[in-house]
Amino acid sequence: MTDLTASQKALGAEIAVHSAPYFPRRKKVITGRSIAVLVFLAICALFFCIPLYVVIVTSFKTMDQIREGAMFALPNIWTLEAWDHAWNSACSGTRCEGLKVGFWNSVAILIPSLILSIGLSIVTGYALALWNVKWAGTFLFILFICAFVPFQIIMFPLISMTATLKVYGSIWGVALIHAVLAMPVLTLIFRNYYKDIPQEIMSAAIMDSGSFWKIFFEIILPMSGNILIVVLILQITSVWNDYLIGVTFGGMGAQPMTVNLANLITISTGTVRYNDNMAAALLTAIPPLVIYFIVGKLFVQGITAGAIKG
Amino acid sequence: MAFRWSRWSPQLALLPAGVVTLVAFIGAILWTVYLSLTRSRRLPEYEIDWSEWGRQYQRLFNDDAWMISLQNLIVLGLGSALAIVFGFILAAMIDREKRGESLFRTVFLYPLAISLIVTGAAWRWIFNPELGAEHFIHSLGLTWVNASWLARPETAMYGVILASVWQSAGFYMALMLAGLKSINSEIWSAARLDGVGLFRLYTEIIIPMMKFTFVTCAILLSLGVIKAYDVIVAMTNGGPGQSTYVPAYFTIQALSAKGNLGFASAAAVLMLVITAIIFLPLVLLTAWQQRRAQGAMR
Repeated sequence: MTDLTASQKALGAEIAVHSAPYFPRRKKVITGRSIAVLVFLAICALFFCIPLYVVIVTSFKTMDQIREGAMFALPNIWTLEAWDHAWNSACSGTRCEGLKVGFWNSVAILIPSLILSIGLSIVTGYALALWNVKWAGTFLFILFICAFVPFQIIMFPLISMTATLKVYGSIWGVALIHAVLAMPVLTLIFRNYYKDIPQEIMSAAIMDSGSFWKIFFEIILPMSGNILIVVLILQITSVWNDYLIGVTFGGMGAQPMTVNLANLITISTGTVRYNDNMAAALLTAIPPLVIYFIVGKLFVQGITAGAIKG
Repeated sequence: MAFRWSRWSPQLALLPAGVVTLVAFIGAILWTVYLSLTRSRRLPEYEIDWSEWGRQYQRLFNDDAWMISLQNLIVLGLGSALAIVFGFILAAMIDREKRGESLFRTVFLYPLAISLIVTGAAWRWIFNPELGAEHFIHSLGLTWVNASWLARPETAMYGVILASVWQSAGFYMALMLAGLKSINSEIWSAARLDGVGLFRLYTEIIIPMMKFTFVTCAILLSLGVIKAYDVIVAMTNGGPGQSTYVPAYFTIQALSAKGNLGFASAAAVLMLVITAIIFLPLVLLTAWQQRRAQGAMR
């Protein structure tokens, strides 16, 4: 798996987990090989940590020390110079205003795209799961296919459309495309969550008040807390980490942080300041990493299906 | 009146999503397919010369970079499959040895939380020909080791594969772990009573039981490989030369750098065809599962 978005992973994971045989959990078994296994796992864990370690130490080094070539050594002098450069004055293309521009663009893209994508897909998922609508099965099937369509096949038409709507190259254009591309997967996730709500609750609710929106706001939304948080984390990380949509629809003025970072590290002219590059990479990685380390359980749940329920 | 509204509002609520699907997905796909039959260059042209409607596809298969892209797609697919194997081994070990489960899970999964551009930046730096890992290994006296993979056309793809495996192994581990945890405890004790060896237990009982988890993982991996773009941009930008071109990169390059719309559309259509070929088993699998679930209910 190289380039699936987080939400596509979630959907796939849901399928994978559901296709596993379902039995009760087995009991804890302690084997004599414990130590060998633990040593092996520890070595693997070390391999997983190496890139992070290298990036962190490099970002605190001076260029003089980096030129000595001891990649794995700790910094002689710990300095925040590279972090300052990366944030305030690193060049992306011809502009040298640092990653802070991209950071705020990313934040500005994130908020409307979250509202649009979750708003659109929660209502669609609710209508498809709990109401009798015509062609619901067909629609779900089409959404399932759309969820995995490669972006390139719809790229040029989407550029044309956003240009016609006069949102190409703006924050809103990028946010809109995020919402459109996330819609199929998120709808399926919400629909799978809602379809297990017992029919009796719905019948009672329809008898009681009847209206589609009233049931949604008074009954369904209050019981969606778990799935909303899972989807929120999923969507925040996938929008933040996105590069392709940002570079295609961001134009010059609305490039997210990942695009700035990619411009910075692929620069081939002049002397490359590796410590700036690594500080910039860390700055980009920190927001999703913070989310991961704080609410890791929910993140994993989002990725390996908010679906292992009940 | 209120009754009528409540009857229509579910349908109305589906309208935005329906429009999005119809316009942004179905309409856009047809549009690109149509463009791939035209002679469009920088700007779209809508005339089709039916006597040679396939010329963009012909050009594509005469293009060296496209053929390299297809080759690399297979190389990347086979190489990234290591992530599934690795993920399964990690999951099996974590599942047997419950100690430290949450710590190991956290460590193996964190690469998944960060952007592929960051992953690419980190590995690009590690593979740096002058100051990177190679320099360190040589300073240990192992001067015959070549670790600046990205600098040579023959090995650049392996660098990309290593970064992809690093990034995604945790994901497959998490899926496999979920699959392993749902295996009946009686199977483990029965196998122990029968004196089945650990290796045979896994290869002959556990893996066959988890075949659907494996199939889904394989399909997800293939779909991800077709979409591989970010990691290529961040690590090699297609280079050295065109040695790390993949279809996703080729298509966008044809559109944005060469400004060749008809050509890029043809490449995108072929990407869709490849996706469809991989996707078909997944559709059949889910359909089969739904039937199985219904059968179990009865």
